[in-house]
Amino acid sequence: MNTQQAVADNAHALQPLAAFAAKSWPVIAAGAAGALVPRRESRTERFWFAVAAALTVLFVMLLWPDAAKVAEEAVAPAAEGPAYPHLISWLIFIPVIGSAVVLFTPRQATRAVQLVTMLTMAAELGATALLFKVPIQEGKWWLEESVQWIPSWGIKYHVALDGISFWLIVLTSVLTPVAVWVSYGSIHTRLKDFSFAFLMLQGAMVGSLVAIDLFLFYVMWEAMLIPMYVLIGVWGGVDRVKAAIKFFLYTMAGSMLMLVAILWLVFKYKSLAGTPSFDLEDLQRLGLPLAAQKWLFAGFALAFLIKVPMFPVHTWLPDAHTQAPTGGSIILAAVLLKLGSYGYIRFGMGLFPHAAHDAGATLAGVAVVGGIIYGALCALKQNDVKRLVAYSSVSHLGYVMLGIFACNPASMEGSILQMVNHGISTGALFLLVGVIYDRRHTREVGEYGGIAKVMPWFAAVWVIVTFSSIGLPGTNGFIGEWLVISGAFMSHGTLGQWGRSQAIGAAVGVILGAAYMLTVTQKVFYGPLDNPKNKHLPDLTRRESIALAPLIVLIFAIGLFPRVFTEPMHASVAPFIQSFNAKWRAPAPEKPVLAPAPEPAAGAAAAKPVE
Amino acid sequence: MSIWFALSPLLILTFGVLGLMLADAFSKRHSDLALGSFITFFGAGLMAIGLWIMGGVPAEVAAKVAPWIILDKFTLFFTATLCLGGAISSLLAGGYLPEHDLDRGEFYALMLLSAIGAVLLAAAGEILALFIGLETMSLGVYAMTAFRRTNPRSAEGALKYFLLGSFAAALMLYGGALLYGATGTTTLVGIRDALTGGQFGSLRDPSRLPTVVLSMVFILVGLAFKISAVPFHMWTPDAYQGAPTPATAFMSVVVKGAALATMMRVMLVAFGDKASASWSSGWPPVVAGLAIATMVVANLIAIRQENVKRMLAYSSIAHAGYLLVGLVAAWGQGDPAVAAEGRAALLFYILQYTVTTAGAFGALILCGSRGREAVTYEGLSGLGRRHPAAALAAYYYLRVLVHLYMREPAPGAPQAIPMRSGYVYAALLISAALLLYFGIMPGRSLEMAVAAAKSLG
Repeated sequence: MNTQQAVADNAHALQPLAAFAAKSWPVIAAGAAGALVPRRESRTERFWFAVAAALTVLFVMLLWPDAAKVAEEAVAPAAEGPAYPHLISWLIFIPVIGSAVVLFTPRQATRAVQLVTMLTMAAELGATALLFKVPIQEGKWWLEESVQWIPSWGIKYHVALDGISFWLIVLTSVLTPVAVWVSYGSIHTRLKDFSFAFLMLQGAMVGSLVAIDLFLFYVMWEAMLIPMYVLIGVWGGVDRVKAAIKFFLYTMAGSMLMLVAILWLVFKYKSLAGTPSFDLEDLQRLGLPLAAQKWLFAGFALAFLIKVPMFPVHTWLPDAHTQAPTGGSIILAAVLLKLGSYGYIRFGMGLFPHAAHDAGATLAGVAVVGGIIYGALCALKQNDVKRLVAYSSVSHLGYVMLGIFACNPASMEGSILQMVNHGISTGALFLLVGVIYDRRHTREVGEYGGIAKVMPWFAAVWVIVTFSSIGLPGTNGFIGEWLVISGAFMSHGTLGQWGRSQAIGAAVGVILGAAYMLTVTQKVFYGPLDNPKNKHLPDLTRRESIALAPLIVLIFAIGLFPRVFTEPMHASVAPFIQSFNAKWRAPAPEKPVLAPAPEPAAGAAAAKPVE
Repeated sequence: MSIWFALSPLLILTFGVLGLMLADAFSKRHSDLALGSFITFFGAGLMAIGLWIMGGVPAEVAAKVAPWIILDKFTLFFTATLCLGGAISSLLAGGYLPEHDLDRGEFYALMLLSAIGAVLLAAAGEILALFIGLETMSLGVYAMTAFRRTNPRSAEGALKYFLLGSFAAALMLYGGALLYGATGTTTLVGIRDALTGGQFGSLRDPSRLPTVVLSMVFILVGLAFKISAVPFHMWTPDAYQGAPTPATAFMSVVVKGAALATMMRVMLVAFGDKASASWSSGWPPVVAGLAIATMVVANLIAIRQENVKRMLAYSSIAHAGYLLVGLVAAWGQGDPAVAAEGRAALLFYILQYTVTTAGAFGALILCGSRGREAVTYEGLSGLGRRHPAAALAAYYYLRVLVHLYMREPAPGAPQAIPMRSGYVYAALLISAALLLYFGIMPGRSLEMAVAAAKSLG
């Protein structure tokens, strides 16, 4: 009996283990493959490969829509309040608190400063992981917080999250630690200031991604500017001060016009509703005549398009990128530019549907000719690798903007996905450029050649990232560009008769992209290794490999399992486009009118169409 | 409430300065006087806030000194703001004067006396009281400007300031005299009553109208001089550069604040009638023009400055332009709702301006020790690396930021070495804490500004 009991007990004890094994075999298999496949590496490195592979698979599995769970949720929708009521505020304030801690850490204790920074960013990453547990809600905010801030001016601390901003926040939380981690390898002066600036930057970036109150958004938008200005100006290259001031002036000029437009809106709202409000949801109820919409839209759009940046206001970008330190370039390309396109969707299109629709087709033409093609042609002629990557950013952001202007679900999802893609692949490219710059202190293409022989791992990673950047099937770039181009091709409603030719133009841009990226790859990595200075370049260090690993993982994760990433967006993008279309199809009113406030019961529908 | 209690901020300042002068005669260490001066300012400010919390001065008490001194919430707000500026300036002086070998007790007495004038100016509801306040304030500041006696720039700046200031005061006095001639009264409310009603007001004789306009121009010029609006700003860079830095801070905060208060009273109360305050025939277009000229010219010149203190002077001129914009907004096209908002915003702005500007000058003071003062940008180069605490200035002014952090000092160039002083640290901490408080939680101070604005006129 005892033995039987014991066996039964064992079986009982083993049952969850077996269930776990049955459920998690892909993770274990991936881990094993990661450990066994690379042959020449040492044990520790294999271990980390295994961990990285296992985590990738785990990540995808966690995101994979579970059939049973979906059915369960469809039957019984979560009735209680949100699971994490203050999660968004934590996302904003964890980095801010961390920066305050850094401020009070002794300057000489560089290890402690680094530790505090990385721990803060890890906490931020953990908080971001909780976001995945927030239920996806169609056409509503997934999470929302609203507190009065300055009641007499109608200013609220109103932050919210939906499928449009969700992946961008994840991108921010993932890429900021990568940028900081790799910077700690190359930056040795004033680490404390550097960490402080980076943490403030992270807080401000997340803040502008979730701010729904226009005043709060403006504050966050400006708060983002100063740390970036410092990052470029202090740790940058030779012409850093000039580049920093150029960056600052361009962005500032745009945001001043936006501020004027915001104030105009608020006063118009006040004259109709009696009380002022900076809340996007309130201001969206404002129906404006077309002429007013056009001016206001111009103010908003200019601020955002400078940030994107779109031709012809892109000229600050190559300078800023070339002069910025590696970490600054990564975060500038990966997140800061995205705030322009995000702001265009959320505020430009959300507030001024008629004007945005009218301007869409023209701007799409500019995005194709001035962004995608002109950016690619400029990139083709660059000798400085970093400048080349900067111009490739201009070109890639052209796709993002084209997708937004085309404004159908496919293109819009493609745009948002392409924002994430560009963040990952261009971030990785800047990181890789930083790697060779640290070794040789030059970025001239002519100085290199054949270095794949001395830096094989580096070359391999570069080629993978290049493929992602030019959109090879199987990598993330392909999915985004495909969605954007096909979306633009089908968008007769918004882009009009030119939609198809613009899609063709964008496709030409893909070819040009392959041309410049492959040319530089060929010149730098292949051919004879004839420069004696390159003969003994060390390969990727451990620090650099660790920084690159998550990016490589994400390239394939998005490339192979795109649905996992587009599904959460879809829940917000489709209703957004629906309400946008409904708004611009209705004629613009002759005089400013205010639609009634939505009923609180039906209330959470974010964007009530203006009748 | 007794009238003495209602007047307590002014009385504290007055008796404080008398006590301080006595203490100066018998004390050996003058830097302790800074603490005394700070406590005087602090006490006066505290009394103003206390009166505010008690609901302001009751009308029957205030009537005892009206119309010469008006004890409304507007006055209390400005008293507290001016005392805040004065308190920070006196702390800065406590660090600056011993460091630069200027440690003489008169400085604090002059500062307090000048502040009495400033508070009186902000409270004045009658042209003669206004003039007395103006002169009391100005004379102290003239002397403070000339305080660096060995420095020719200081003497030059003081002389320029004195001559032009006297000229402006004379213009104002002349304007007041003309106004008295035209309306028969010197109280601000009386002037408004004389000007309102009917096409030409109740002026018995419409032919006096040109006199009113002329007096308005004279008074406007005199006040524009005091807040250093372009084109009456010529004295400002020299005086600001020549004066010891705490005096500069005092000038740009307290003097400007008091001048703004009286400008609001004169323009919005005395000249608040429909004809004077109108876009077609009154002062708003003139003030708007002054504002635009001031902002554009001052900012453009500020960009080209090499001397940090001079840059701050031009920046302070530019702020006068912003204040004038606020003044036009405070008129609000005659719409009371809009005007109330504009006035509240202007009051809130002067509070922020006080804290920020005092902090900026404090940072500049901290950046220079004896003989190694922060004079030019080049002198500040690389300071952020050598003395991070002193680089607090970075948070205030952008171009300084570039030099503090982003440039390496040129070899052999004179470099600023920061000083150490508990007084300066304290001043910077106070202004930084207030800055954060007003920036993050503006609700309460904004409500106070709204209430103060409501009590005007």
